[in-house]
Amino acid sequence: MEIELELFGALRGLEPGDRLNLSVAGDIVADLRAALGVHAASHWPQDGAGLLATCAFASSTEILRDAQLLAADGRMAVLPPVSGG
Amino acid sequence: MSDSYYFHVADRSQEALDPMAALEFVSDPGFGGVTQFVGRVRDLNHGRSVTGITYDLFRPLTLARFAEIAKQIHGELATPVKLYIAHAHGRLGIGDLAVVVAAGTRHRDAAFSACRLAIEAVKHSTPIWKQEHYSDGDSSWSEGCSLCEQPHVHADHAHSPTDASR
Repeated sequence: MEIELELFGALRGLEPGDRLNLSVAGDIVADLRAALGVHAASHWPQDGAGLLATCAFASSTEILRDAQLLAADGRMAVLPPVSGG
Repeated sequence: MSDSYYFHVADRSQEALDPMAALEFVSDPGFGGVTQFVGRVRDLNHGRSVTGITYDLFRPLTLARFAEIAKQIHGELATPVKLYIAHAHGRLGIGDLAVVVAAGTRHRDAAFSACRLAIEAVKHSTPIWKQEHYSDGDSSWSEGCSLCEQPHVHADHAHSPTDASR
């Protein structure tokens, strides 16, 4: 499944335009997490790759857990630990 | 959004947050209790001189999360409540308003509870990120709270109590 992934917070700047297109071998969030981990290990500095373990994934309307299906439109976001307020 | 709830993300380049608008929104002839929390950017964090904060956020999910927070608070308090939640987006200077939360209820106890529940949920479970800028030219993203069910390594869930806002 082709996924367009948007990056936020501390992950910004790791990809041009803060977006990354990934081919994911599967259709659940855990598959995306694995694919992004492989990409990060070879393309991102260690800090960014390490941050992935604490990141959540979401569609534009809800946080999606590892066992849930990826967004049907292929648009996902990766969310580092949050710090609003 | 209903007549009881108002949620907003304010692009700092376009507008500032408005605490008076929040108080007006949550006011009601039947409500005797109105509370408000205003978070501002301050000038010191962990001993470092702070010159400003940039807030990044995922707008559609942030607004969806605000709506969930309001629904949860309404269910938890089991009393009529009006709630206003607004957060800034973009670069803020010292003293600028980062977040405004207001609650109106019949009595003070529920008003305090609603406001506290709302700001804690905004801080800990909404897709918003804070980047602090320091007087030495450096900047860093706050560590924050993981939204994972179970982070895949030992995540530090603790917000620093000295984050340079609130």
